[in-house]
Amino acid sequence: MTDRIREQMSALLDGELPRDEVGLLVRRLERDEDLRRAFGSYVLAGEVLRSPSGPLASARFAARVSAAIDAGTSDETPVPRSVPSPSRWIRPVFATAAAASAAVVAVLLMKPGLQETALVAGGTVQQAPGALAALPIIADSSPTPAHSQRLAGYLMAHSQFASAIGRRNVWSSVLASDPGISRVSYEFAETP
Amino acid sequence: MQTQEPRDAESRPASGVEQSDLELVKRAQRGERGAFDLLVLRYQHKVVKLVARLLRDPTEAEDVAQEAFVKAYRALASFRGDSAFYTWLYRIAVNTARNAMASRQRRPLDYEADLSESEQSAVASRMSHSDTPEATALSDEIHATVNRAVADLPEDLRTAIILREIEGLSYEEIAAAMDCPVGTVRSRIFRAREAIDRNLKPLLD
Repeated sequence: MTDRIREQMSALLDGELPRDEVGLLVRRLERDEDLRRAFGSYVLAGEVLRSPSGPLASARFAARVSAAIDAGTSDETPVPRSVPSPSRWIRPVFATAAAASAAVVAVLLMKPGLQETALVAGGTVQQAPGALAALPIIADSSPTPAHSQRLAGYLMAHSQFASAIGRRNVWSSVLASDPGISRVSYEFAETP
Repeated sequence: MQTQEPRDAESRPASGVEQSDLELVKRAQRGERGAFDLLVLRYQHKVVKLVARLLRDPTEAEDVAQEAFVKAYRALASFRGDSAFYTWLYRIAVNTARNAMASRQRRPLDYEADLSESEQSAVASRMSHSDTPEATALSDEIHATVNRAVADLPEDLRTAIILREIEGLSYEEIAAAMDCPVGTVRSRIFRAREAIDRNLKPLLD
């Protein structure tokens, strides 16, 4: 087993190892100090044969380089340039969710006698399995013009936290339900 | 300092070693540190030798070579394979050595007199790496051991390792020269290296 791995290592040094065998060998070498030592010895022998004089790197040189890299900051890792930062897509999702939540809260707060109407519609607030909560349909609860105006102002004030897509969705909901805003159904996403 | 490409990367096919280097570079770029460690092992002697010749001061060569490898690691994401990896690495080593020489010229003449005790200790420690009589003796012993081990090899192993290491032939070319299968060449070179390693091991432990 070890001889086969060492023969692969020798072939890798000569650029003669099939490409599909490189990955496993690199991982083995990463774990096995004796294999790395042997690889260093193969390199050293070739160097001495090609150049019978001149300085050689000391036995601990490669370990010193490795330690110097490890001692550096994490931004020294050669990360591929194309990997996007998670914050680039998480931020708009949170912004949209925050704006939608604000709109729901605003509607609920401004409904006159909400507690009563909730009970009227379904009797109880349904708790679906898996923490999926659904508010009951609010029946016959047309807002006054003053309520609509307050709702519009509230949404305007909070839309700055939402992305353009999020704003459009919130406003679409409002416009679809206006002028009556009489029958609005809300569903909350399943929470993990 | 401008360094010239030894060969035009566009006009010739990449050698097996270059392709193998490129494979290791790609893996290192994806975060496999072991792959970069192998590149360090492969080129450490060449880079130390190159830097020592440029600096004309072996005591500093390992530190500057180390700095060159760390710089190469940091810049690895920008390596696109337009040239061979060793060409790219040598360019970094040459520039690092040039900076070290410029820095040395700016030092005051009584530099060592200004060193603190810990700095003097660091210099002494560095001296022990490469240019002390012990290091020179070890290097001589390594050279003698390798040459003796090769001389003691059976003829088929000796021919295979010499054609590979000194003449730089590919396995296919060696197979043609020795009239044997490529797999036999691979095995002979491996066994030659193992025999040399058995002789070197006591010196390197």
